[in-house]
Amino acid sequence: MDVRISGVTKLYEPDIRALEDVYLTVPKGEFLYLVGKTGSGKTTLLRLITREVMPTKGQIAVGEYNLRKMSAFDLALYRRDLGVIFQDFKLLPHLTAMENVAFVLDVIGVPPAEVKERTGEVLERVGMWRRRFLRPPQLSGGEQQRIAIARAIVNSPSLLVADEPTGNLDTHTAEEIMQLLLSINASGTTVFMATHNQFLVDAYRQRVVELHMGRVVRDEKRGRYELDGDF
Amino acid sequence: MGTFRYVLRDTNRLLFRHWGLSLLTLFTAVAVFFLVGSSALFMLNTRYLVARVESELLVQAYVKNEAQLQAVADKAQKIPGVASVRWVTTAEAMERLKARLKGHAQALTILGENPLPPSLEIRLVRAVLAPSVARELLAMPEVDDVIYAGGLADKLARVSRFATRFSMFVLVIAVTASALVLFNTIRISIYSRRDEIGVMLLVGATPTFVALPFVLQGMLLGMGGALGASLLIGGGYEALVRGVEATLPFVQLFRDPSMLLRLGLILLGGGITVGWISSWMAVERFIRRALRPM
Repeated sequence: MDVRISGVTKLYEPDIRALEDVYLTVPKGEFLYLVGKTGSGKTTLLRLITREVMPTKGQIAVGEYNLRKMSAFDLALYRRDLGVIFQDFKLLPHLTAMENVAFVLDVIGVPPAEVKERTGEVLERVGMWRRRFLRPPQLSGGEQQRIAIARAIVNSPSLLVADEPTGNLDTHTAEEIMQLLLSINASGTTVFMATHNQFLVDAYRQRVVELHMGRVVRDEKRGRYELDGDF
Repeated sequence: MGTFRYVLRDTNRLLFRHWGLSLLTLFTAVAVFFLVGSSALFMLNTRYLVARVESELLVQAYVKNEAQLQAVADKAQKIPGVASVRWVTTAEAMERLKARLKGHAQALTILGENPLPPSLEIRLVRAVLAPSVARELLAMPEVDDVIYAGGLADKLARVSRFATRFSMFVLVIAVTASALVLFNTIRISIYSRRDEIGVMLLVGATPTFVALPFVLQGMLLGMGGALGASLLIGGGYEALVRGVEATLPFVQLFRDPSMLLRLGLILLGGGITVGWISSWMAVERFIRRALRPM
């Protein structure tokens, strides 16, 4: 799915300007890094795409969906085509790794046999098949991140939104996760990845959009990490 | 099929995850529906009693001359509210008196000539019409006097009206209490799973799908409460009727198995409906808030 953000401003009460007049067009199948300092508006931008946040001004469209106007049912359909990797994983602690992944398919009414097959495939892909019966508290940070990725991609989304997917991970694990995201992108999924990881951005060059105080200050094809907002 | 299985599995999980709370809600629902059922039975019994008294209520019109009985009966039949008219000759009146006195009937011989007047026995459509029918009868020149137990009928009608109002009052209070308890139980269930619901909504579960297990939980608790209350009422009332029949044979309680079955079904339907509405209100509010973007 392509993403079209036109003149988006987001104000939080009482007077916090999270985003200001953001224009961004991301074609289908593109990999985009969102970089910027903490508080620059990266997470707000991602939450606009997941429609957890509504713009104060401007329009945002993803594929055929106008995110400003949609019914609860359309929102559910839209989110089925969207994979989200949360900064804090948001795994359900009482479910096993496998159940956490299968949960996504269960709640959208996929038949049990298909749930089993697709969950198995995706756990193999993220290298978590052997650890599938463990619960999140029994897994390391990297393993939890892999499960969160597996959950985000199990429904073959057209758009993947990842908020700091390599945060708190060692370099080696972060690289593995990055390889995984790139392989997902290679299969046609548009990827939005907010990150602070300079090494990854510089090592795996893709489009870079930098935010500074809610504004887009840089948009480069095959860009590097260095933040203009620092100066 | 997958959805159906998931919803059932999840409902089961909800019911047993906080089993203490479920049990408490169930007991409360049983108590509340027991109260509703008992007050309905109280209302049915008072209505039954009034109906019996009404059906047995007679307006007795004493006629001056036996030869006029037929004519007065014809006129009485035309009075609005009169169901039937039967005439009683002086001889029949004497026979009845003798039958009532049984062994002491011989005492009547001292009366010599039969002093009992001829009369009409008039049954009414409704007991409350007795005063107006009596007035019309008294207006007839052939009628000497009119007697009826209208005061008793009026009092019973008032008791019946009170019983109906009392039952309605109990019904409203009990249903409100039950709805509140169920509403809070579902809210606690929702609260304990708020993270899960948040994730469900973020990965594309529809609001109906998210709500279904909670609604089913509410309906099952409401139904369980009503079922428990129905069984208690059924067993308890049967024992009460038997006890009253054995100790106070002149008191007849309402006894109609089909009506009792209907009462049980109404309670069951009420339990399911209250469970459905209160749980839907609780979960719908939560989902609406969760889906509302910031």
